[in-house]
Amino acid sequence: METSTYQDVNQQVVERCKGGDNRAQYELYKLYSKAMFNVSMRIINDYAEAEDVLQEAFISAFKNLGSYKSEASFGSWLKKIVINASINAIRKRRSELVPRDERLMVDVADEPTDDGHTEWQVDNIRRAIQKLPDGYRVVLSLYLLEGYDHAEIGEVLGITESTSKSQYSRAKKKLMEIMREPQFAA
Amino acid sequence: MEDRLKDFVSGHREDFDVYEPRPELWQQICQELPENKPATRQETKVIKFSFGDSFSFSGDLVFMRVAAAVLLLLGCGLTLWVAKQSVSEGAYYAATSNTQPALQAIAPELNDIEAYYVNQLETKKEALSEYDMKVLGLDEQKEIDLELARLDSSYHQLKKQLLTTPNTEKVMNAMIRNLQIRIEVMNRQLEVLQKIEQLQNQTTQERLKNETNV
Repeated sequence: METSTYQDVNQQVVERCKGGDNRAQYELYKLYSKAMFNVSMRIINDYAEAEDVLQEAFISAFKNLGSYKSEASFGSWLKKIVINASINAIRKRRSELVPRDERLMVDVADEPTDDGHTEWQVDNIRRAIQKLPDGYRVVLSLYLLEGYDHAEIGEVLGITESTSKSQYSRAKKKLMEIMREPQFAA
Repeated sequence: MEDRLKDFVSGHREDFDVYEPRPELWQQICQELPENKPATRQETKVIKFSFGDSFSFSGDLVFMRVAAAVLLLLGCGLTLWVAKQSVSEGAYYAATSNTQPALQAIAPELNDIEAYYVNQLETKKEALSEYDMKVLGLDEQKEIDLELARLDSSYHQLKKQLLTTPNTEKVMNAMIRNLQIRIEVMNRQLEVLQKIEQLQNQTTQERLKNETNV
């Protein structure tokens, strides 16, 4: 029940936005800008570029609000725009997020990666993610933090589902390595 | 398959969102959005001003609207220009929003504190920019930039809290600590850079010495 009323509230604001109401647009911006900015930051890993993408994404969302059918929540519709824009931006930097030779590699084994750590801290994980190479970071963030499954990640990155799976487990392994580095704790 | 990392992250999802865009970003977005104007067309009305016989002025509604808009824009522009003149360059760290007067009342010392630290931060930034990171083979700069951006984000959050919290002192202390950490981060980076430079100078001098000895 609660979620449906929540969506209805959003729905009204969205309708007002469709009419070009500036205040309604600001309401949606206030509601979503921080979360969306962090989505973009995790993919791009650069403050200024992530801001550019956020700006571009909100403008395109407001201009194309007509194509938004309320079958999904507004938040997830917007998130899709932000993720796509972020991936496009990072592709301009690097043409292939997941190198071709890595795509063919079949994952060694789906063994549970040794996370040999009992006490994790959000801040450590967050900083370690920032140190991952682009391809690893994007797959891992989409899976861990944006709630994408491997099929969705495959679709948005143009790779297969199994490549996404193996990229993720390699990324995770690398993440644990980074967190074990002695200079990292400092 | 069990994924403890995934479980951990899902359990702390909110805490991963540490960045915030600059408060000014909305302004930039706004400027690029199509303006909201009613689509109805009205027939032309003529407005006439007359001040006795000596001065009278008339124009149709559209012209008057344009004229009013131009005047308004000029006014806004002038105000902005004047405001810009009075605000120092370091205003990036200070909020530019209309919450300024309210903050003035809550924490009157904030302006001085910000001015002091912003000045220090700018000096450090300048000192840092004199080094060419690529030449020194240092890739760390990226990480430091991200850390500084994160600190700036949490500073803006604290500043927002200042408007609602009853415990002003606590938040103010956190803000000051935030500024101090930024300076510490930059100081440490400067030290590292100076050391690297020294080492490089030493090695080149030794090489020169060796060459002349041979």
